[in-house]
Amino acid sequence: MNIIEVKDLCFDYTTQDENGDVTERNPVLKNVSLDIPEGQFLAVLGHNGCGKSTLAKHFNAILTPTSGKVTVCGINTSDEDRIYDIRQSVGMVFQNPDNQLVATIVEEDVAFAPENLGIEPKEIRRRVDGALKQVDMYEYREHAPHQLSGGQKQRVAIAGIIAMQPRCIVMDEPTAMLDPKGRREVMRTIKQLNKEQGITVILITHYMDEAAQADRVVVMDEGRVIMDDVPRKIFAQSAKLRAVGLDVPQVTELCDMLRAKGVEISNEIIFEDECAEAVAALPLKSKKANITRKARVIDKDEKSEEIAKLDGVTYKYSVGTPFEKTAVDNVNLSIAKGEFVGIIGHTGSGKSTLIQHFNGLVKPTVGTVFINSQDIWSKDAKIRDIRFKVGLVFQYSEHQLFEETVAKDIAYGPKNMGLSEEEIEKAVKEAAESMGITHLLDKSPFELSGGQQRRVALAGVLAMDPEVLILDEPAAGLDPKGRDKILGLIKQYHEKSGKTILLVSHSMEDIVKFASRVLVMNKAKLFCYDETDKVFERTSELVEIGLDVPQITRLSHKLLEKGIDIGNDIYTTDRAADRILTLL
Amino acid sequence: MIKDITIGQYFPGNSVIHRMDPRVKLLLDILYLVILFTSQSFTGLIVALFFMVMCYIIADIKLIMILKSIKPIMPLMLFTLILNLLFIKGDTPLWQWWIISIYPEGIRTSLFMIIRILALIVGMSLLTYTTSPIMLTDAIERLMSPLKKIHFPVHELAMMMTIALRFIPTLIEETDKIMSAQKARGADLESGGIIQKAKSLIPILVPLFVSSFKRANELATAMECRCYHGGEGRTRLKTLKTAPRDYLALAVMVLLFAGIIVMNCNPIIP
Repeated sequence: MNIIEVKDLCFDYTTQDENGDVTERNPVLKNVSLDIPEGQFLAVLGHNGCGKSTLAKHFNAILTPTSGKVTVCGINTSDEDRIYDIRQSVGMVFQNPDNQLVATIVEEDVAFAPENLGIEPKEIRRRVDGALKQVDMYEYREHAPHQLSGGQKQRVAIAGIIAMQPRCIVMDEPTAMLDPKGRREVMRTIKQLNKEQGITVILITHYMDEAAQADRVVVMDEGRVIMDDVPRKIFAQSAKLRAVGLDVPQVTELCDMLRAKGVEISNEIIFEDECAEAVAALPLKSKKANITRKARVIDKDEKSEEIAKLDGVTYKYSVGTPFEKTAVDNVNLSIAKGEFVGIIGHTGSGKSTLIQHFNGLVKPTVGTVFINSQDIWSKDAKIRDIRFKVGLVFQYSEHQLFEETVAKDIAYGPKNMGLSEEEIEKAVKEAAESMGITHLLDKSPFELSGGQQRRVALAGVLAMDPEVLILDEPAAGLDPKGRDKILGLIKQYHEKSGKTILLVSHSMEDIVKFASRVLVMNKAKLFCYDETDKVFERTSELVEIGLDVPQITRLSHKLLEKGIDIGNDIYTTDRAADRILTLL
Repeated sequence: MIKDITIGQYFPGNSVIHRMDPRVKLLLDILYLVILFTSQSFTGLIVALFFMVMCYIIADIKLIMILKSIKPIMPLMLFTLILNLLFIKGDTPLWQWWIISIYPEGIRTSLFMIIRILALIVGMSLLTYTTSPIMLTDAIERLMSPLKKIHFPVHELAMMMTIALRFIPTLIEETDKIMSAQKARGADLESGGIIQKAKSLIPILVPLFVSSFKRANELATAMECRCYHGGEGRTRLKTLKTAPRDYLALAVMVLLFAGIIVMNCNPIIP
């Protein structure tokens, strides 16, 4: 039986003038037809602005069709009398966990929906306890939401929906703002609800590995459904996916590369287990790959010139209160000029506090910070000058935009530096060029897309022409296309300017593409700081401290279990493909 | 860390006073105010104050907290003291200098006023120390519910209160983040005159407003998705029930009231 039936759905966003007359029509959904059987786990993919969120809002009558028909549990969503029946049957979870929790106590929040439905207090209690146990948050029932981690908050939001006892849950990028641990928690909860409770799940996501776990994948582009099949059939068409700004899992990409070299391997591989089996089934001549690795050429200048140094840096929060906590514990490190350093570590490992030491936003409790061999907290150093030398771009940096136009916003930093009009203009122009936003300079930053806003914020820091650029999760929450775009621009900037870059990310896939060295933080301590290859030789230790390693690295481990050794330094698909080819 | 801030001044606990029905607690606190204002003698005030101190001990709230709650209103108390000292006139001045003359009546009234303010703050603080903001909101909503008949938006006000309480820590954290981000771009938030300082707040306030509107929008959609349609036909997870302890508290308070009235007629210390 179909729980949701969408027939020829069209939806236009309209702009109205003061008299309420429609002045502009912007079609978002064009003739979408889709049937979703009860109990299915459906993933919806598509780049930002393809209409997938708008479609999702039709499933519980937050929006109603301009034309066409949406039927939910046999009820037409345009039937206003039954709107609460629909919303009760189809619950919805959104991206930002903070913006969907209403109450100040977890259990009160979960009770919000049943309270609205006018259910008896005793029954509410039963449902709240049940829902919290299902998402494994029962022991946190009396906590305040702001004391929880992102993944925990998102699970509370899910519990708030389960408490309505819906037959279907629609999730709009529920993991986009979470760290890898939070993502795993939420995905486990989603799968459990689907498999054990038989709840239909519609998951909108940008993560291909999440979509790979679904029963069915729908791909949207420009307001239309362009692909609709089981995951492995969808990911087999990698060229088509890339054309609409999407990605495929790393092992699928690997198989594509191998096939391009004439290796006969299936194109319907999406998990590392099956990939390992498929590789093992190949006619291998040898079981140990020929490992040749070019030693990194180290410039003499590069080695000698040090731009930043932390000497015995310790930082403690709320010293002298019961909340005292060591965020950074005795860190010693030195960063060479022109280096591209990747920084990883799970949430709370101290990496965000660590990077704020470099530009003096945080003053070490103990220890010294040197920039260009100058102690930044010494009397003759001016901390504001340090901030112009060390540019720091925060996570979700688009939240800092405030000016009327993009150009003015980018000019904020240079203006604070006290540059002349011409210098400011030049700085703005150059920064805009390196971020590819020259055509947007006269627009308001608030009418841009999320990815564009992020680039404006980045340009705002680049315009100060800092010697060191620190980026905290520059790609967080973007779709694959936006992520590749911004990371590509950062790489370009690095190559062109030769500036030192520190990039913080949860995604090792992103880091290893660019970084020559990797710094790992764990529990406020420096876990290791070494060349990328050397860090990845310690993959098993990284997994032990709870970090997420790339799928391709996990594949190399699976292969090793099968006695096939392609090396312990696999973190890109190119390298994995090359090594496997040497086996044949 | 900024995340650890407590909203209001609630100290979670499990004492009799903590477990009292917040409606009763709120009403009794109002009755306590009436008592303070009816009391005309020092004895009455001191008895009331002593009673509150006992309540603190029962609620297991450290007495040092009383001092903490008085601190912000110290200026007001000093002001009252000076005003009363200077302007209450009696027959024979106790002390005189230039145009300043102090009478025993002035000393008596100013002391009386100070003890009254003290007792008042101590009583009000006990309510916020032992009742969570959400319980308090709940109590206000229910006590005011008769006003719904004259179309006073009781539920809506309470909902707004709850949401405000929920988002205070989130917004504090956000402000902190935006401030750091602008400082990283060389914002100077410390130096300069008033106008300069006000101007330097723009890069912080604009993003904060923009994000608050966005949050409000998203929250409204999320609430709609959870079938929110105002207060009509809404039930609650936690229903407020009066227990014997509430009646006991009421009886104690009424006794105190009676005692104060008696003392007004037969003051031990006038």
